[in-house]
Amino acid sequence: MHNSKIELVLSRVQKPARYLGNEWNSVHKDHLEMAVIMAFAFPDLYEVGMSNQGLKILYESVNTQNNLLMERVFTPAVDMEEEMRKNNLPLFTLESATPLKNFDVIGFSLQYELSYTNVLNMLDLAGLSLYRSERSSDDPLIIGGGPCTFNPEPLAPFFDLFVLGESEEVLPELLLELAVLKKKDAGRKEILKHFSEIEGVYVPDFYEPIYNEAEKLLKINNKAVAPGRVVKRIVMDLDDAPYPTVPVVPFIQTVHDRAVVELFRGCGRGCRFCQAGYIFRPVRRRSAEKIVAIAKNLVAATGYDELSLSSLSSSDYPHLDQLIEDLDNKLDGDRVKCSLPSLRLDSYSVKLAHRLHQGRRSSLTFAPEAATERLRRVIRKNISENEIYSALNDAVTAGWQGFKLYFMIGLPTEKDEDVEAIISMCRDIRNRFRGRVKGALKLSVSVATFVPKANTPFQWEPQISLQEIIRRQQILVEGFRKIPGIDFSWHDAETSFLEAVFARGDRLLAPLLEKAWKLGCRLDGWSEHFSFALWQQAFAKTGIDGAKYSERRFAFEDCLPWDHLDCGVERELFVRENKLAHSYGEEGGADNV
Amino acid sequence: MYRIKFLFSRSRSLAYISHLDTLRLFIRALRRTDLPLAFSQGFNPHPRLTLALPLPLGVTASNEPGEVYFEAEVSPEQFISELLYQMPEGLQVIKAIEAEPDSPALAALVEAAMYRAELRSFEKNESLNDNLGDITEKSLEKLMQKNEIVFTKSAKKKKDSHINVRPYIIEAKRDTQTGGLVVLKLLLKAGSRGGISPVFFLEQLALESGDESLNAACWNLHRECLYYKKGDILKPLSERM
Ligand code: SF4
Repeated sequence: MHNSKIELVLSRVQKPARYLGNEWNSVHKDHLEMAVIMAFAFPDLYEVGMSNQGLKILYESVNTQNNLLMERVFTPAVDMEEEMRKNNLPLFTLESATPLKNFDVIGFSLQYELSYTNVLNMLDLAGLSLYRSERSSDDPLIIGGGPCTFNPEPLAPFFDLFVLGESEEVLPELLLELAVLKKKDAGRKEILKHFSEIEGVYVPDFYEPIYNEAEKLLKINNKAVAPGRVVKRIVMDLDDAPYPTVPVVPFIQTVHDRAVVELFRGCGRGCRFCQAGYIFRPVRRRSAEKIVAIAKNLVAATGYDELSLSSLSSSDYPHLDQLIEDLDNKLDGDRVKCSLPSLRLDSYSVKLAHRLHQGRRSSLTFAPEAATERLRRVIRKNISENEIYSALNDAVTAGWQGFKLYFMIGLPTEKDEDVEAIISMCRDIRNRFRGRVKGALKLSVSVATFVPKANTPFQWEPQISLQEIIRRQQILVEGFRKIPGIDFSWHDAETSFLEAVFARGDRLLAPLLEKAWKLGCRLDGWSEHFSFALWQQAFAKTGIDGAKYSERRFAFEDCLPWDHLDCGVERELFVRENKLAHSYGEEGGADNV
Repeated sequence: MYRIKFLFSRSRSLAYISHLDTLRLFIRALRRTDLPLAFSQGFNPHPRLTLALPLPLGVTASNEPGEVYFEAEVSPEQFISELLYQMPEGLQVIKAIEAEPDSPALAALVEAAMYRAELRSFEKNESLNDNLGDITEKSLEKLMQKNEIVFTKSAKKKKDSHINVRPYIIEAKRDTQTGGLVVLKLLLKAGSRGGISPVFFLEQLALESGDESLNAACWNLHRECLYYKKGDILKPLSERM
């Protein structure tokens, strides 16, 4: 199926299996018999993209329609890109090696800000103009979905439309509608006008941000038939929703190489920093019977030996112990082990984990996020010191050998003593449990930096400055140096800064992205490829001040760049939650809101 | 415990997956069938499947032996027919037999491997190929006259070790019965008692020639057969099945 040029290129690159496309359960259809063909473009490497559950859901929900086709494409690795450019090989889909340009629709999955340069790179490798205004009606429709669409403004000039919310609700409808419009030979403008009337579809061309001379956003005007606010679409009943039971099984090991069944969507805990906790609301549960049935089918169709019971906070699934028992019974003989990816820090969760991991007790992962009770109250991660220690105690008693702990710095109202508390808490954990495990206690601590995200109670909050991130990280580095036996790691300050710039950015950032990509930025999420020096050049050349974006505090009455995009949560709730957070702020009331 | 030995082939469309990927693929395919796989003991039980010799990345094959254990009796016919529907295009089981549970493991028998290396003909330009054919033959001659070809094995923590792999090249010659194509037949020692990778051989050949178009990436490599030793004679492993 591959032509000789591709064959030649594949023989020269590392991991050629990333580009094969004939994996088990991959879908191959005759393009000529399709009403609409779409390329699902994941702006990261194959191993990352193939672990994305959204891809699997959409792949199956589109491909089960007779006259629709979806094929996959991922960001080529650096060596592959080089070969492609050298050999004039345009970006192609894996299944049929069709150039991206030949598709009706290219849909990008927007999962994290650091993949934005990959989006531009993929458009360019496809031979398409980056900017919507420079593309014609003959070019594919460029659409985006995923969490970043709750503020996609920095990407707005490059895209024709974004789907807000759960795309499996919208996409088949949109593609079928496109089939009708295609038959009528409708032009791009007409098509977009049609689509802007579909609930959950955001057509950026129909919205115009108005700035004053100081580049302060005043309001966002909507044009034509476009609604003033685009409200996200969601699946109401998970039991009726399409769920992939014959997903593509990769040849090579991917980040999450296992069967995944989603227990529920959304999370009711409302941690104030957590975008997922708000944009995926409300909580919708899948019934236990349905979960068991899906699991059975998944295992039969893939041959996987591991089943992940996924969701934002799995231990919140009611009667999870009962479900695990049912799964054990039904999957018995298939030799499948179940795993729980997101555990709460409590005794119940420890008990469950113990059940699941009989015999393989290495490390348990928990995310206290903050080390003082005050700060945990600020972010609404309401768990007391006592509860934490008693959960850890249970885990050690059950035979676990260690812990992986996740914290965050730079949270609103954080002071040095909150940062230092991370060190003392970990030292404490080490001292308490060290003698109680067989061999050395494995303790690894990972510290990220808070990034204020759109559509959360902290959307108005600034990120601390780059220098300040580095200073607080230094406190940790110094502190952990004095404690032997703890594996301490931290997220790169510069990438967290860039994340904040784009997470709260607006359309004025598009030239910055373009410049950064032109200078050679790509695969920014990979430390071996990330170059902050290049980004600094891009900032300088476009005259954009990144700190103005990352460090700005919005006032409640300000117009936010994403104000026209509605995740279904009342603004008032965000305001209330923000004020509540600050009421636990510094005792002196320095932070008066 | 029941044991099935089998032969499989691998074509171009699946040549680019590694040995571990190939093993995983077989295991997942077997798990999708209803065949009663036997598992190893221990905390992390896994199916007992082995392939006689890892297939290098990019190499196709026509007669690769492998073996797998079952808890209950499985007939070779049943094995082939059940697996048939679970194997992706490009990887195919072509033969299977029942084997004594305690006869020696296939992997321990492997002594040598026969490869066919075909230079990719680009524009079907005959004179270009003629020319490359000559260069190949000359370089091959020079390479084979050497008494020593050193392969440097770099280990992570230990010092690099140097091995003379010249004795592992049993035979290497141009196949002249192939029209205008440049084709080599390489019989190389392989297996746990020492061997040389065909890719390394081609790299040495390219170095010898100094010609970029003989680069290892420019050859299609195909493994035709694995051999075991009976007395002093090499015999195809597939004949034992
Ligand atoms: S951090 Fe976890 S528990 Fe908190 S809201 Fe987000 S998903 Fe839910």
